[in-house]
Order: sequence, then structure tokens, then C-alpha cells
Amino acid sequence: MADRWFEDFVVGERWTSPPREVTAEDLAAFTRVSGDDHPLHAGPDAILQGPFGVAVAMGLLQGLGLHGEAVLGLLDTHWAYRRPVRVGDLLTLEVTIVRARRTSAGDRGVVTRAMALTNQDGETVQDGTTAALIAARGPGPDPDGRAFGTVGWAEALTEKADLADEVASWDGTVGLRCGDDEVHLRVYRGRVIEVARRSPRGATFTLGADAATWLELVEAPDNPFMRLAMAGRFTVTGDGYEYLRLTSALHRLADAAREIA
Amino acid sequence: MRADYLPLGGSLAFVEQHGEPDAPPVLCLHTAGQSGVQWRHVAPALAARGYRVVVPDLPGHGRSEPAPGGPVTDLGAYADWCLALIDRLGLARPGVVGCSIGGKIALDVAVRASDRLAAVVAMAADAHTGGRPSVRGLRRELSDVAAPSRTDRTYLGTLAVVGRDVPRERAELIATMHRREDPAVSTSDLLGWATHDLRDALPGITCPAHLVVGDDDLWLDVARVRAAAASIPGARCTVLPGIGHYPMEEIADFDAVLDDWLAELGAVRA
Repeated sequence: MADRWFEDFVVGERWTSPPREVTAEDLAAFTRVSGDDHPLHAGPDAILQGPFGVAVAMGLLQGLGLHGEAVLGLLDTHWAYRRPVRVGDLLTLEVTIVRARRTSAGDRGVVTRAMALTNQDGETVQDGTTAALIAARGPGPDPDGRAFGTVGWAEALTEKADLADEVASWDGTVGLRCGDDEVHLRVYRGRVIEVARRSPRGATFTLGADAATWLELVEAPDNPFMRLAMAGRFTVTGDGYEYLRLTSALHRLADAAREIA
Repeated sequence: MRADYLPLGGSLAFVEQHGEPDAPPVLCLHTAGQSGVQWRHVAPALAARGYRVVVPDLPGHGRSEPAPGGPVTDLGAYADWCLALIDRLGLARPGVVGCSIGGKIALDVAVRASDRLAAVVAMAADAHTGGRPSVRGLRRELSDVAAPSRTDRTYLGTLAVVGRDVPRERAELIATMHRREDPAVSTSDLLGWATHDLRDALPGITCPAHLVVGDDDLWLDVARVRAAAASIPGARCTVLPGIGHYPMEEIADFDAVLDDWLAELGAVRA
């Protein structure tokens, strides 16, 4: 197989697997391996154990042929069980690359994949993220446009966004967070005077979301910032009053994020 | 068109009327914080189709004086006010059409006086919001000092609930005009919206009813609107694809759409 290196994974790339049917053999085999013989997992209406879905997802992922010898290991799996899986279900895996970050060693990077298993009715039955360590082909540098929550991304954002009017009278720090990645924009009288992982007195407020939400923000046909905020997809910590006060500045930042993505 | 300032409920009400006085009357109600200007394109066009179109500004909105007791937080008070307006103008068996709080007020008018109505069309309204938006948050918003960037949030918040099929220019005009609000009045309207519970009352509606919701309307859950319609004997329910919270402003030829709906309901026909 044509191997994909760290640099070949682009945030926003997506794949869908062919469907896989859940069989009575699956149920028997998984129950035998796990030793979990709770009555829920027996009989005609048996529900397969949650981790069965993770196992299927990993198999379907492998079947997509994305990962060859450059994969150095699986780092983590964060997973939610949304609906029961039963014998006869047809499961399909949808994979989206949501984060690609080179490690400090420089010769490898962590690629995080958002994965969702859907059933024959198009409902999401299980979803989550898994991260893998993948060897790099070269030394970088890597693009910043979709490195949400990093200093490089926020610097590109600052360069693109003209916030002079929106924050002309403002003195404070805007935090932007994607998952665990947070960056601070120190603002004084209409100018961003510093972009850093942490500002000395912390953020006035921090706007945060998961990577899938940031991806949706930059990929939607029109700037969906308010729609996502009203739907509770962004969370705000810190001074909520200042967050509201900067509504149009944040909308403008979202415009800039869409331009650099 | 004629426009009058009518004494009603203790203050002066601004009321537009379009069309012939003896044509079948239709009362058109606006959304929270807004005014009859939302019906500016629909009203004359609907009148040209043979209706007497009556467009009031609710108390405290547009060119109407404030309600004597201050901003209204009970949609039932608006429903009573609408019935008083129907009496004042001598409207015989009007159709009542409203959107958002106007839709819910229209439903409440039907709850109170179905026998006096030809039909009710409630857009972007359900029986009970289930506590959205939060009453606590709305009470906080009533304090001006806690409600920063109000006009930007109204503008961007309106754009966020206009449907995906609405051309950008039209969406921006809607959102820009929605900046013309008194925040104390719109927030009070929303308190009324969040607290008014018609679940037990809707089955008592006996006039023909039609509930309408856009599938891009973030404020409404289509399933809840369907459930509200299902609780009214014989009511219809329409989901508008690509449309958001303001069908009469978003749909270019809305007068034709509304004319069809009123005709389907049978009782009002020009």
C-alpha cells in the first residue's frame, strides 16, 4: 500500500468505509473474549458490548488503507456509546482528520481522527476520537491554517483579521481553545499586542470547542459562528460580559479563521 | 393603505389597514421586539388578492405607545389586546396570522375565541418552549448593564436564524431592520415566549388551524411544532425547507403562500 506519512494527513480530510454487518458469530466471539455474559448480551434482542464498536471501528479504519508502515502506535481512544448495536445491524465508519500536530522530536506527529459508526438508518451509534503516532517524511514546517488553538494559527488569524473598530476601546485577553489547545490574544486599544500560549494575567474569557466544531466553523458555506454559539457548541469560561461585548469581534475572527483555513 | 392611532387598552395603538373594508379580514402579528413593518411587502400584496389586511404594532412596539403597565411579559395580555382590536375594528371572523411570539399569540387568540375566528396560521411557534431561552438569562438581559453589544447580537443572532435559501442581501436587510427594537420590550416579549404554556389549551381550538415552521429555525424544534399541531383537532402542519424564523420576511412571494394556506383552511377566501 502507498504509505501515508504524518504530512499526508490534512485536517478536514474525510473517508467513509463500506458497511459491515454485525453477525451472531460476532456476538458469540466478543462475549467469549470479554467474558461479559450479562443477560443484556444474550438472547434474540442481545445488545453487543460497547467496546465491540471500537473494535469494529478500528477494523473498518484499517480497511480504508490509510495506515501502513508509518504508523508507530495508537495513543488513545475517547469514545461514547449513543445507541445499542444488535446482530443484523449494518455499521459504517466515517473518519475525519481533526488534528495533526508534530511532536517536539520533530520526526513524527500525532494525528487525531474523529470517528463515527452509523447504522443502516443513518443514526450515529458510537463516536469519538482516536489518536495515532505517525512517522514524518521530512522536518516540516507544517501549515497553520487549521492548527486551531496554536500560536501559529492565532498569529495567522491576527494578521488576517482587522479588529481595530471592534476592540478600539478594549483592554483584555481573548482565549481561543480547541480541545486541549489554547492560545491567548492580548488586546490593547484596537491592536493585538501579543499572541502566546498564556498571557501573564490569563484570559479575560476563553472561547472553546472541540475540533469538529472548529472544522465546521471554517468549512460551512456561510460564517456559522452565531449559529454554533446559539446552539451551545462553543463554551465560554471567564468573563461572560466581556465575551458578549466582543460578539462582533469574535464573528470577525471567525471570518478570518475561515479565510486562513 | 390607511393608518390610525387607535385608543386601545389604555394607550394609543398604531394600526395599518390595507384593502377593502368589506373584504375578508386577516390580522397579521409581528415577532418579539419588532413591528408591523415586517409585513410591509406582504400586506399590500395580500390586500390586492382580496383581503382586508390589518397590521398592528403591539403595545410598546414600532409606533404604538407603551402598554400602561410597562413592557408586557404575558403573551395572554397581547391575545386579549388583539381581541379588543378585533372588536374595535369590527372585524367579522378574521383569520389571525402571526410569527414567533405573534404565532403563539395567534394560537392564544384561537384558544380564547375560536368561534369568532375564520382560521389561525401560527408560524415559528409551538405550545411550550420547554424553558428555552432561559428565563434566568432573560431576566439578566433586562438589566441594560448586563446586556452588552445588544444591537450586534440582535443583528448577528437574526442572521443565524434566517434560512439557508434566503439570498444574502435579503437576510442582511431583515437583520439590519431587526436592530430597531427596544431591548426592554423585546426581552420582555421573550420572557412571555419562554413562559407561556398552551399545551393544555391547544386541544380546545375549534377553528381551522395551520402551524408552520422553517427547518432552519434554530429557535424551534420541528418535532415540538408537529406535536403542537397534532394536539389541535384537524390542524395542519407545514415544514418549510431552507427557511428560518421569519417566513413572511424570508419568502419573496409570501402573499401567494399565505393566500393558499388561508384558502386551504377553507373559511377565509377572498
